[in-house]
Amino acid sequence: MTKFKRALTSFVVPLLSILLAFLIGAVIMIVLGANPLLALKYLWKGAFGTAANLGTTLAKATPLIFTALCACFAYKCGVFNLGGEGQFIMGSVVACLIALQSGLTGFPAILLCLVAGAAAGGLWGLIPGVLKITRGQNEMIISIMLNYVATLFMGVIYTSWLRDQNIPQTPAIPDSVKLSRVFPNMRFTTAFLIAIAVGLILYYYLFWTSNGFKLRAVGYNMTASRFNGFPVKRYILASFIVSGAVAGLGGAAELLGTQFRLINGFGAGYGFDGVAMALIGQLHPIASMVVAIFFAALRTGSTTMQAGTGVPTSVSDIIQALVIVFTVAGMALVKLPEFEAFRLRLSGGRKKEAKTV
Amino acid sequence: MEELLRMEHISKRFGDFYANKDICLSVAKGEVHTLLGENGAGKSTLMNILIGLYQPTEGKIFLNGKEERIESPSQAVKLGIGMVHQHFMLVEAMTVFENIILGDRNSKGLFIDRAARRREIEALAEKYGLDVELDKLITEISVGAQQRVEILKALYHGAELLILDEPSAALTDIEVEGLFAIMKKLISEGKSIIFISHKMREVLHISDRITILRAGEVITTVECCKTTGPELANLMIGRELAPSHYEKVDRPKGEAFRLTNIEYNKNSKHNGLSDVSLTVGRGEIVGIAGVDGNGQTQLAQIVTGVLTPDAGELDLKDKKIAVFNPNGFIEDGVSLIPEDRNLQGLVGNMTVADNIVLKQTDTPQFSGGKGFHLKKKTIESYAHEMAEKYDIRCASIDQEVRNLSGGNQQKVILARELESKPDLLVAVHPTRGLDIGATRFIHDCMIEARARGVGILLISADFDEILEMSDRILVIFEGQLMGEFPGKNPPIDEISLAMTGK
Amino acid sequence: MSFAANLILASVRMAVPLLFIALAELYSERAGMVNIGLEGLAAIGSLVGFLVCFVTGSAWLGILAGALVGVAVNMIYAFATITLCANQIVYGMAINIFAPALASFIYRVYFGTGSELSQITLMNGIGIPGLKDIPFLGDLLFNQTPMVYLAYLLVIVTVIYFGKTRSGLNFKSVGEHPKAAATLGIPVTKIKYVSCVLCGALAGVGGAYLTTCYANTYTEGNVAGRGFIALAAVIFGRWTGGGILLACLFFGFCDALQIRLQVANFGLPYQFFQMIPYIATVVVLSLIGAKKAGPRAGGQPYRREER
Repeated sequence: MTKFKRALTSFVVPLLSILLAFLIGAVIMIVLGANPLLALKYLWKGAFGTAANLGTTLAKATPLIFTALCACFAYKCGVFNLGGEGQFIMGSVVACLIALQSGLTGFPAILLCLVAGAAAGGLWGLIPGVLKITRGQNEMIISIMLNYVATLFMGVIYTSWLRDQNIPQTPAIPDSVKLSRVFPNMRFTTAFLIAIAVGLILYYYLFWTSNGFKLRAVGYNMTASRFNGFPVKRYILASFIVSGAVAGLGGAAELLGTQFRLINGFGAGYGFDGVAMALIGQLHPIASMVVAIFFAALRTGSTTMQAGTGVPTSVSDIIQALVIVFTVAGMALVKLPEFEAFRLRLSGGRKKEAKTV
Repeated sequence: MEELLRMEHISKRFGDFYANKDICLSVAKGEVHTLLGENGAGKSTLMNILIGLYQPTEGKIFLNGKEERIESPSQAVKLGIGMVHQHFMLVEAMTVFENIILGDRNSKGLFIDRAARRREIEALAEKYGLDVELDKLITEISVGAQQRVEILKALYHGAELLILDEPSAALTDIEVEGLFAIMKKLISEGKSIIFISHKMREVLHISDRITILRAGEVITTVECCKTTGPELANLMIGRELAPSHYEKVDRPKGEAFRLTNIEYNKNSKHNGLSDVSLTVGRGEIVGIAGVDGNGQTQLAQIVTGVLTPDAGELDLKDKKIAVFNPNGFIEDGVSLIPEDRNLQGLVGNMTVADNIVLKQTDTPQFSGGKGFHLKKKTIESYAHEMAEKYDIRCASIDQEVRNLSGGNQQKVILARELESKPDLLVAVHPTRGLDIGATRFIHDCMIEARARGVGILLISADFDEILEMSDRILVIFEGQLMGEFPGKNPPIDEISLAMTGK
Repeated sequence: MSFAANLILASVRMAVPLLFIALAELYSERAGMVNIGLEGLAAIGSLVGFLVCFVTGSAWLGILAGALVGVAVNMIYAFATITLCANQIVYGMAINIFAPALASFIYRVYFGTGSELSQITLMNGIGIPGLKDIPFLGDLLFNQTPMVYLAYLLVIVTVIYFGKTRSGLNFKSVGEHPKAAATLGIPVTKIKYVSCVLCGALAGVGGAYLTTCYANTYTEGNVAGRGFIALAAVIFGRWTGGGILLACLFFGFCDALQIRLQVANFGLPYQFFQMIPYIATVVVLSLIGAKKAGPRAGGQPYRREER
């Protein structure tokens, strides 16, 4: 299959899954007594209708892009980094500490927060990485446990160490450390631009550099990579660290750009959401970003949808969940040998298959 | 003797390829009937049909005179056919006892009646002289003991006809004697055995009749007492010396590499090397002949740095090697056409172009700034050049390499490995599963490389290939080198015998 | 009662939901199916259990409903991984995202979005007359809710099933060496599906326990990682019923301990104590290492031979 045809096929599965999920969503809406077409109209309006709405969508998309890139990059090397949430949170915690305690202001502070956030995320990702290299498996469970530890640690920060008087949250970071908006009437900040930039950098790294090429080879076929002299363990470790750093950067950016303080529920669910988006985006950095924006649109639009038609926002959650259920099943279906035989029979063998000679 | 099994005109076709063609086989009650043949002769396919894993494209099977259709493994078991596979079907985490009673359909009741089952098994073991320890885990017993468990398991499930597939492959000499004793006991108690082997000494020792298979067809069936080793070897390999297409080289110009007293896992006959010493000169092809599973995998992986030997030395271009890792060997000029092209050689999900330049993405030719920016246009045109030069037929060089046919996949590997100007090329089964055209092409490339001064270590179970290509022939058997023979006018009979252990 | 006795009692109580979920995974993994979607299964089990109990007033019906919904959701996983050969880990994650979303949706639709939490009455404990009066042991073993007894019973049944029955032996072989099992006529695919039914049911029950016997309300995230700790418990317990029981008691102990330490207030923020179970899991797993223990064919898709 040529590159073009391959791209087409990898679009089809997620697209069909999305359609199917929306179809089921529409059925649910009907059962709840709402008009699905009207609901979709409100959904669209809520997500993209006005500049302000678009801004909110992009702002909501920002942390999702970071965690999606985290999962995507790790999986490209064959590594299942399920600790994105913990890495995200540790990044925000470190950024918060610096923002509130260091006394620095302005651009140097912002820079330091972001870099330190990335480093914290990278370190948090290093733990399961090292264990995988030295002990073999189970980096999955360990990284998930570390998610809970990170969330609890953040709890320590905002309930005791840096508590804002009697409210269980940290004080807001000083204005000079906040990331600024790109357009004054739209909620999204330079954090979004940073996310896009990171996505583009990762894309370039994976598909245009020699190291990225080798990393992908390791993810596809570890044995052949080893036989061809690639330092497999080094790449695995690096992928843990880099993906963790991306998530950590995301956490720091979320703090400096949108939330401005640590509070209960900060970062909740972003990690697994990121994994879902990476999977739907077929593990391509650019596609994952698009999927993240799409999901953010769903979430932003659903409040307008609820206000306009009474359809609860959780319907959009269901739709999102269904998309991933269908996408992964669809990807598996397409890979089955029976499916390939079916496809060949359909095309009547007319395609110029290169299985000659 | 009364006939137990008759397979009449059995054929098995996979697409256009006949794995078995018009095979007629008859096994009498109480006899040891040997199936003799090289790798790829069709023995496994035939047996898979007999045990219900495959359905024959044509032909009939008769058991005790009655026609039967064997449609599943459990049906084969019900019909009294039991097989001891070459790779044991034993659950390692369970005990001997548990493995034997697994899947047992005859007992009744929810709970395992350990006492009753044990009595039954012990009686069977006693009757056939099979010494097993029922409460040991499979991982705790020797390979020979594991085999006895497999035999006992087949008997417990009611086998009258036992198929033993290369049973002595993994056994020590003493264990082999023990196996023969068991086989004799089985026969004396009325069982029948199909014995699959390529080891002449054993075949001559234990068989009643021998059926020789070659290229999916039966050559003939002979009585053991009326034949000799050399005659059988000839029938099995069956070729006259056809003149090779290529000139042989007498004196190489210098040494490409040398192995001295290499040992790896030396107690294993199946997966180890014992005191292996050989040299490959520049501009010479050394062929390692031998049936699969005699240490070739380990040899190839040691010479390319994937495995580290337990003892011995390796010199590459007169430089002693201290550290074994693939990257170092590649930098020192060693190239590999691996045993399993899909697992070890190619990254299936990447494109043809990607795989061709797999090891070269850091070079200034293909990237700017030490790998910082891949020159995709350059890579593309280079890949086109290579596809042209090596006759790689694909819809486009952007195609995923796993969608190519085996021959073209091999050419991709060839393009990659030969273009890096190696000093030593290790080629393991380079033309396995390929048709004549592709095979010829690859051989031509190798000869060309030889002319350029590359030393080539050719490891292959395809005897034709070895005879065709080698300047010198070494035979490997059970991890040891059995002798060296000239490539020009090779003494085929001697070599065949050496391959079977004599 | 003394601090220690109290602690042990609490450990047992807190181990129970984990025990159900861990046993669920045991049945699944013994057939070669690694199911990491336990967290999701327990989440929806807990929601449905709560809902049914709320509506019918019967905790037992809640438990049953939890089991049924667990089976239903896990059948999606089963079909995708057994028949479509999807990657088990990836699809387990899909279930972890899907099931809680479904649970949340049903909750919102039924209870609305008010912040007041609905409540139910918990299942009553049943004391076994006579035995329950034995000091300490009486309370521990004989004066609990029936679910606790069920959990113990389940452990015993599991140990006997895998250790002493023919069916159990065949079941195990599917996870160890499916090819060998197939040659012996053992129905590999059928057993894999059965294992998914058991897994879904028990994980659903574990979740339902949380909202019918443990706490009397439903909150999002109430499973709190137990689905993942259960995975660790199976490894820690070496894939045996008895070992898993001990592992769950250990983690239950960590859970009970951290609550008491919080109350005791050593001056350390309480979250550090809450971390104990999770850090314990990390430490335990790191120490055990990952020698390829457990069913040898775990996680691998099974493809039938060519016929």
